[in-house]
Amino acid sequence: MSAMYAPTPRPNVMMNVMNLRPSLEIDRALGSRPLISLHGVSRLYDGGAITALQNVDLQIDAGDCMAIVGASGSGKSSLVNMLCGIDHPSSGTVVWEGRPQRTRQDWAKLRRLSIGIVFQEFNLIPTLTALENVELALFGRGLSGSRRLARAATVLEYVGLQHRPNNLITRLSGGERQRVAIARAIVNAPALLIGDEPTGNLDSTSAANVAALMFRLCEDYGMTLVLVTHDEKLAARCPRQVRIKDGVIVEDTAIPDPLLELQGTA
Amino acid sequence: MNLVGLALRNLRRRPVRTGLSILGIGLAVGSALALIALSRSIKDSTQEGIDEMGDDLVVMQKGASDIFGGFIPEQMVEHIAAIRGVVRASGELFMFAPSAGHTSVLTLGWPDTSYLWKKVPLREGRVPQQGERHVAVLGEAAAASLGKKLGDELELVGETFRVIGIANYTTVVNRGLVLVPLADLQEASYRTRQVTMIHVNVDRGGGPAELSRVRSSIEALGNVTASTANDVLNNDRNFAILKAVSLAVSIIAVAIGALNVLTALVMATQERTREIGIFAAIGWSRMRIITSIVSEGVVMCAFGCILGELFSFAAALVFPHIPTIGDLISVKPHVAVIVPILLAAFALCIIGALLPAWRAAQLIPADALRRI
Repeated sequence: MSAMYAPTPRPNVMMNVMNLRPSLEIDRALGSRPLISLHGVSRLYDGGAITALQNVDLQIDAGDCMAIVGASGSGKSSLVNMLCGIDHPSSGTVVWEGRPQRTRQDWAKLRRLSIGIVFQEFNLIPTLTALENVELALFGRGLSGSRRLARAATVLEYVGLQHRPNNLITRLSGGERQRVAIARAIVNAPALLIGDEPTGNLDSTSAANVAALMFRLCEDYGMTLVLVTHDEKLAARCPRQVRIKDGVIVEDTAIPDPLLELQGTA
Repeated sequence: MNLVGLALRNLRRRPVRTGLSILGIGLAVGSALALIALSRSIKDSTQEGIDEMGDDLVVMQKGASDIFGGFIPEQMVEHIAAIRGVVRASGELFMFAPSAGHTSVLTLGWPDTSYLWKKVPLREGRVPQQGERHVAVLGEAAAASLGKKLGDELELVGETFRVIGIANYTTVVNRGLVLVPLADLQEASYRTRQVTMIHVNVDRGGGPAELSRVRSSIEALGNVTASTANDVLNNDRNFAILKAVSLAVSIIAVAIGALNVLTALVMATQERTREIGIFAAIGWSRMRIITSIVSEGVVMCAFGCILGELFSFAAALVFPHIPTIGDLISVKPHVAVIVPILLAAFALCIIGALLPAWRAAQLIPADALRRI
């Protein structure tokens, strides 16, 4: 069991951000291992009057690039909230690398070290600059202020905002804000990047750029990507698609990975 | 950027509310500092005044609740003077004597033969001659506040006194004194043949043991206590009440200041619920969220304390100009007063900040992020 759930090699994005390593191949070569899985997860609200999720089982492997698709109110966001631990199941278990996550502290640590989240609403602090917003995610990592800033600046450069690090968030366009949010999400080199309708509030050009950036992270670093969207075109770019309706997963399809196929036949 | 920097940013977002909260803390801390410094300085000034007279022991009526409250027969002075080891003794009657213009001045009556007259540091004029009546020597501050100079007449307890000397004592209390012959004050206050206290000088060659023996001998005379100046004031009920009231009012003031912090932070955290959700969503621990909110309280408290310090220094400058008490006290902000009050202010502000911080840390991130 312990061998099965050996820690996933982390694509240490920002340490390698300037010398991109093809970690996708490396991670995939290790074989599919569940990074996070949901076992019989339900989420009820108002004392059970509303069922947002109903007995959901889902396994996401390291390196997966997955879209969660569904109509508004289908339970997509509730599902993604479970995946990043910002909400807790009414019943069932969420397991990260073989370890059930039960306490808030566990989840906070995971979000600090291993999970990055990009929200539709950006969720940036408006009174802080782009650089400071990214730096916030590095608090609690034991880094000095100068190292935090340097690392935040590197990531901002990666997302193409090197020219606007000291602009307040309110002075940035929607696309730029979302790139700041992505920078904040990846600054800790997470194993899992979750985008909750990350392009939902953007114009088509910005949406395309943001989507491209997120897929690039997945491809360049082997980062596991979970993309919540109701945009079928965007979902179609993900090799795996999970459809959810009324809190129940109704479809889970995956396009076969050519690399794994090759390894399997070798 | 660090948590303090973040706290400063957040506080600057609501400058009016932050300013008012800081002002509230400042007033609370300033009031507490001023009150406690005032009560302390009244006691200190009185003690300095007694010390300046050079007493080894002060004899008062046994059980007297305060230094104004006991009376001793004047003949007790002779009995005390006769005790072996006593170098000299002098009776003293004192009271706040009403003067013209509805002001009261601290007035001391000394026998015209008392050694105390010889120790008056005269700036000008002279002390009363033996048998001379209805004359007064004024401390410099008393002369200034009463607007009197040598040769002027002064009305005290309905009697008229001629100013014959101005003394330049160094202590604030003594600079505000009016000294008159004992017999005059006894008559005017209906305290014939009575004194309030007896000043005693002891042969200092004998050391503490001799002082203790003399003290016991004096108390053996009956119905009197002999104490050092410090002991007299420590046992004085008025000073004890003053201290207790000052402390109580100070605690209330500082608690109100802390309540300001609590109110400001409760409102701030309610308004910033979504932001707190963001902090949680990017992996901040509960402790870090609590620390960041408490930091705001501490920053407000720090500014409030600085403001309070300035208020208390301003009070120290203003108090001496208050009629009737200004001549008798000197408010000096002292480390022994400042440090405990600032520590109390910080402790209360942290407690005040902990409630909203704790509430914020309890939020489920997803719920917090849904708030507008």
